[in-house]
Amino acid sequence: MSATALLFMFLVCGVVWGGFAGLLLRAVRREGRKP
Amino acid sequence: MSQTFSSRWGLILATLGMAVGTGNIWRFPRIVATNGGGSFLVAWLVFLLAWSIPLMIVEFAFGKRGRLGTVRTFRLFAGERAGWMGGWVALCAAAIAFYYSVVAGWCLRYFFASLVGELGQADPEAFWESYAGSGSSFFTHALALVLAGSVVWFGVRGIERVATVLIPLLVGMVVILAVRAVTLPGAVAGLEFLFRPDWSALGDVNIWLQALTQNAWDTGAGWGLILTYAIYMRAREDVPLNAFLIGFGNNAMSLLAGIMVLCTVFALNPGAKDEIVGAGNEGLTFIWMPQLFAQMPAGGLFMVLFFLALSFAALTSLIAMIELITRVLLDAGFTRRKALVMVCFATLWFGAPSALSLDFLHNQDWVWGIGLMVSGLFFAVAARRFGVEKLRTEVVNAEGCDLHIGRWWNFMISVVVPLEAVLLMVWWLWEAKVGPPDKWLDPFGVETVGTVLVQFFIALVGLILLDRWLLARRVEARSR
Repeated sequence: MSATALLFMFLVCGVVWGGFAGLLLRAVRREGRKP
Repeated sequence: MSQTFSSRWGLILATLGMAVGTGNIWRFPRIVATNGGGSFLVAWLVFLLAWSIPLMIVEFAFGKRGRLGTVRTFRLFAGERAGWMGGWVALCAAAIAFYYSVVAGWCLRYFFASLVGELGQADPEAFWESYAGSGSSFFTHALALVLAGSVVWFGVRGIERVATVLIPLLVGMVVILAVRAVTLPGAVAGLEFLFRPDWSALGDVNIWLQALTQNAWDTGAGWGLILTYAIYMRAREDVPLNAFLIGFGNNAMSLLAGIMVLCTVFALNPGAKDEIVGAGNEGLTFIWMPQLFAQMPAGGLFMVLFFLALSFAALTSLIAMIELITRVLLDAGFTRRKALVMVCFATLWFGAPSALSLDFLHNQDWVWGIGLMVSGLFFAVAARRFGVEKLRTEVVNAEGCDLHIGRWWNFMISVVVPLEAVLLMVWWLWEAKVGPPDKWLDPFGVETVGTVLVQFFIALVGLILLDRWLLARRVEARSR
């Protein structure tokens, strides 16, 4: 696998999956603070 | 007071179930493969932020504030005379539900056939040809409808309970399938193909339009389905963070499905990759995937998982469509059970031609796929009529919001989304304008401009007349 494709894979997966995980974490934290 | 989701997680799982459908599993990998791989992913991410999420925010906000089905929501936000726009949104969802129930039935049939080993012994092409368009297809259409209808029977709590079980299972199965695909010898070629960016391809307008279309069709934004689930949000529920979660969650599943399908294809039959991804949704899923699984060690087990995941994805989306139409009838004064029985019988009846003819199903998919772009436009128009800034400050960023939305969203909804909707409609119709006018204007063609124009005209005239009649009845009742 070329270095460009590998880098791009990490970038796209990072944005999509990392973005989803980050948003989910934020929702969990916010929900925990709500009465 | 109507039922509400018991928790935020119930709402998120049900809405994810609505968004993740067959479009993620069978359309996304094909479209990525035929539109430049990595370059397509860039455009796809751009339109997640420029189409899907802004429209999801509108839908969540309308549902939370209005607590009404699509028809009365449009009256509330866009004016008394705009009920027909909500009627259009409901009509598109209903027309799609009619044939989507057939598709869900196919998935169930293939799950059963893979489970009992019937699929492993048969020639996949012959199996598909003897099944699609036959009486068996009508039977599985009815079965899918009974399964989805029995969930909607119990209202939002039924939908929540089912989503809480099916969605984690669906995610787990797609992850297992993607891991299996990536660990096949030669799968790295699939990853290379999927993620190799070709920056020059970003100058190709077709890639951008395909990426926008994929967002319009597989995230569920602008369909009215999110609005319908948002009716049952708790009073102080967040809008923006939930919209971002659904958008990213949906696309995360698409990416997993892309990895799963393309790695499997490149590992097991790289020579036929163009033929496989060019075989259309049904060709890829029901003819090629069984052949590929047959070549894989323990392929029978993975084939069962694949069709079970596809069945779950289809059923949870079908449930949302049925709930949308039921909700419109609830607003019109019917009880849930009476409304649901009417919806199920209508879906069974109007879905029958799609169950018995693939051409009819493709025609409906073509016409109402474009109809969805009009639905998205109507949501943006309604938000503008209500006041985009007012909607942002009074509903989107109201108490309970976990993510502040800035003025960028006003620009997206007022300018970008309407432009995208118009551009998409014109482009798709222009693409269909091939050959002499008597061909592309043929109202009885499968995927012609004529069939779209005629069906849209009939639907719009009918909706406007119905809306005026209902409005006149209300005015008369008030004056009494």
